Amino acid sequence: MEQQKGGIYRYGMVIDLDKCTGCGTCMIACAAENNVSVRPDQTDKERTITWMKLYKITNGKEFPHTEVSYFPRPCMHCDEDGRGHHQPSCVSVCVATATKIDHNTGIVSQIYTRCIGCRYCQAACPYGARYFNWWDTYFPKGKGLERYLSPEISPRMRGVVEKCTFCHHRLMRAKTQAYAEDRTDIEEHEYTTACAEACPAQAITFGDLNNPEHKVSQLIKSPYAFRLLERLNTKPKVYYLSTKDWVRKMADNYLPGEFKPVTKVTG
Amino acid sequence: MEINRRHFIALLVGGAAGINATPLPWKFTDDIAIWTQNWPWVPVPPTGEFSHVKSVCTLCPGGCGIEVRKVDDRAVKIEGRTDYPVNPGGICPLGMGGLQLLYNESIRFTGPMKRVGPRGSGKFIAITWDEAINTIADRISDLRKQERPEALAAIDGNPTMGTMASMIERLLRAVGSPNYERIPSAEDTYRMTNLVMQGTEGPMAYDLENADYILSFGSGLLEGWGAPGRVINAWGLWQEHTAKRKARVVQIESRASNTASKADQWLAPKPGTEAALALGLAHVIIKEHLHNADFVDAYSFGFNNWASPDGKNHMGYKTMVLNSYSPDQVAEITGLQPKDIVALARDFAGAKAPVATCGKGKGYLNGSLYEFMAVQGLNALVGNINMPGGVLVCDPPPLSPLPEIQKDTIAREGLKKSRLDHAGTRRYPFSKSLIGDFAKTIIKSPKSPVNTLLVFSANPDFTLPDGGAFREALKKVPFIVSFSPYQDETSYMADLILPDHTYLEKMDDVVWPTGLQYPLYGISKPVVKPVYATRNSGDVIMQLAKRIGGSVGSSFPWKKYDDVLKERAKGLFDTQAGLVHYDGSVPAWKRLRDRGSVTPDYKNFDDMWKKIKAGGFWYLPVHAYKNWDRLFKTPTGKFEFFSTRIELAFDDYALLKNMGIAEKGDAACMPHFEPALSGADRSAYPLLMLPYEMINLASGWTPPPPFLNKTIFDNQLRKNESFAEINPKTASKYGLKEGDRVTIKSPQGTVRVCVNLFEGAMPGIVYLPLGFGHTAYDEFSRGKGVNPNDIIHMGKDPLSGHPVWWNTPVQLIKV
Repeated sequence: MEQQKGGIYRYGMVIDLDKCTGCGTCMIACAAENNVSVRPDQTDKERTITWMKLYKITNGKEFPHTEVSYFPRPCMHCDEDGRGHHQPSCVSVCVATATKIDHNTGIVSQIYTRCIGCRYCQAACPYGARYFNWWDTYFPKGKGLERYLSPEISPRMRGVVEKCTFCHHRLMRAKTQAYAEDRTDIEEHEYTTACAEACPAQAITFGDLNNPEHKVSQLIKSPYAFRLLERLNTKPKVYYLSTKDWVRKMADNYLPGEFKPVTKVTG
Repeated sequence: MEINRRHFIALLVGGAAGINATPLPWKFTDDIAIWTQNWPWVPVPPTGEFSHVKSVCTLCPGGCGIEVRKVDDRAVKIEGRTDYPVNPGGICPLGMGGLQLLYNESIRFTGPMKRVGPRGSGKFIAITWDEAINTIADRISDLRKQERPEALAAIDGNPTMGTMASMIERLLRAVGSPNYERIPSAEDTYRMTNLVMQGTEGPMAYDLENADYILSFGSGLLEGWGAPGRVINAWGLWQEHTAKRKARVVQIESRASNTASKADQWLAPKPGTEAALALGLAHVIIKEHLHNADFVDAYSFGFNNWASPDGKNHMGYKTMVLNSYSPDQVAEITGLQPKDIVALARDFAGAKAPVATCGKGKGYLNGSLYEFMAVQGLNALVGNINMPGGVLVCDPPPLSPLPEIQKDTIAREGLKKSRLDHAGTRRYPFSKSLIGDFAKTIIKSPKSPVNTLLVFSANPDFTLPDGGAFREALKKVPFIVSFSPYQDETSYMADLILPDHTYLEKMDDVVWPTGLQYPLYGISKPVVKPVYATRNSGDVIMQLAKRIGGSVGSSFPWKKYDDVLKERAKGLFDTQAGLVHYDGSVPAWKRLRDRGSVTPDYKNFDDMWKKIKAGGFWYLPVHAYKNWDRLFKTPTGKFEFFSTRIELAFDDYALLKNMGIAEKGDAACMPHFEPALSGADRSAYPLLMLPYEMINLASGWTPPPPFLNKTIFDNQLRKNESFAEINPKTASKYGLKEGDRVTIKSPQGTVRVCVNLFEGAMPGIVYLPLGFGHTAYDEFSRGKGVNPNDIIHMGKDPLSGHPVWWNTPVQLIKV
């Protein structure tokens, strides 16, 4: 059955890479908000859980023309799987219905209690945004670290996949508040993700892409806006901005001569 | 009945179909799933009532506003505040991870303790607070009885202007010891720069948000310099695509740090030659008459050649700069291109609101005095001192002075003794404290002149860039008392632990966060009740003083530390100025720019204090710009390119060599360039090692929250090995490939690391990150990587006497 594309809301994110300083606050805000496990060794990056992850890139030029930049990468919350189906590739492959796209919000969920740990979704995700729990969450007895855990998010057990949820519990919180105040709609500022809120450079903007009033809808009109691996046609809802050609070029695999620099800037 | 194959298959298929038709397997699978999800070692966070507490982060001197989310009594998340003037909503990664410091029992002291194992072993047993306080009080009383109170010393890492620092210094003075040592930082170098050139004692206050051209000489704007929440926000403002005036940022640094990479322009002079570059820029500006003649002619001293009353002719700044710092000469020193120097000078002088900032990395470590003077000289040349978007000269928040310290004869005699570090003497006239010399005196003496050492909010064993000298000194000190809440390297050397609360458990003040362009007084308050049996060190000092008694006790007339905070804050009220509310839609920097006035938003002192405690701040976003005729408190009353204070301090120029100054003539009183000398045989050590700081790696006193490990790349730390950044060209000379293990050897020792080939590293230099290599704390940070401080070959900065930590000669040995 063909599902209707585009619900009432389509939450998305715009990350301005010119403003991003690579400080990593978004990663920590995310881990702290979502009870992400921290193990003593976090250097094996294939097994380290980072819903929001910074990728470091360089322009490859020799000293002193070297430049470093960063890609903060949350879950892209893709609208499609690249083959025209209105669900992301991770959802298409999930055998346990543990991950779903909510067409009313555009948020791709992850339900740990349903996940059977087959890691198919992890293989299907082109962005490496999904993480498998090789161990139970690390809170050894006697340390007392579990005291900072937030009750809004359940800590994960061994054998399930997890990923960025656009801080879905914050949407719940905002909705509950609105309901309590007898409102049917929530305002732009009422729902934002922990990373966007924490960014000291204000590089991350979050909002409803369907709402022309929201800042994100205006930002994605910029000629400098782009998405990661855009030509896979997965329709990610995370956009990036960069005025630097070499940074934009890193966002996809281009054949020689294929990349088109921005020449016309309007607005 | 015969059972044949057909029966068997029928049974199997029928059974399988039957089982599937029953709910049993589904129920079992579900039960197993639920069972695995309820293993007792996967915590289930209890829920409760949500609340928010507003406070100020004091993990660094930046003092950003934070809001802590709580569930019942537990703090569950730290977030930035939007109703605090310093940082509009964002904080740094360190501050974000603060709860892992509060709640990690294996890095904290749970109460007062005394050492039972050998020093460094971390073996302690719990004692009572009474026993702990009595032990120190008895030792101090004994020293006073023996009439050698100066054998008590303290090391303090609290911010200079805060109340805690004044309490510690007060205790020492009341006891009678001049040996109050501070952890050196860029703040010291800023203070001295302002003192010798402007005659003011305040810190540097850069109006970053209103500047349109930022020329940063090594300030790690994105590495955690100043208040990170504020500086990185300013960075975001500079990058606004839609802004009418997109600011331009130029970074002067030898390595492609985040700041250098993200800046609009990056220039990489050889490390330690920044002063020459600044003077080279001055050369071009003066030669092409791009300087602000109004300011220079009327309000500066020593620009042109001049004659003193005794008829002696002196060289002026202009002559010195024109003679010795032409683009070609500077290119020779710095390794830059002359045309780049000329272009940079023109850009800087041509900008509407340019500002040149000095600093090295985060500013946790000191800078070079002559270099900072050279950079400040640029600000004076373009006349942006006390101008919007420039360097503002403002008075610190007007706190009430504390009552006179009571001193008995023993204290008075003790205070007459000279400091162990010779700070403030003719050798180091402008320094207040020199911890390197303090350590040296202890090491050199047959018996440690320090009998009892108190350590507050500092971890010098780990953080001092001295090649392990301080660690040696600590070994000789008979009795060390640590007030650290954390089990850090220095506490492991201590004999007695009197743990302070962490920053989320106590009330303290944040007087003027570092680098802010207007005075601000912040109050951090207890977010949660103390988790362990710790005590506020401010209270402990008072209890200690009362136990010692006599004039020491009567120097501390307060009941508790909070009373001292309140008493000092009265001065804020007496000015009848300042605000205690903040409207995020009108940022403080806009108020400053628009030159609005403020009407105090409080009625009386009690009202003000109540509001400060609730909101967390008092600030004064007004500024008297320009004001050049009354601004400078130098002997000449002008901005001094030629510092008469330095000249007076020399008495005669023969002393210069003693002070470590190579320059012999008038230039010694002016900003000038002197190559740092290591004294090491460079043929044996052909490369240089430079430590660098990262915003996501705690390099100071604060322990690293484990969350930070997530942000460290695997070419910075892999398993327990940290990496050195080396340029591929340099590496190929030594046959080194990515990931190879290498020993870095300096005259001070060796460390073993892996190689990270990085094009952004200057050829000939090996870069090591600061913050790895802990031998204390827990499994999250202990034994991970190496600490570059261990092999730093420390030199001495001329005039200030602070450590030169950017000039360690090393060799590489492939493992």
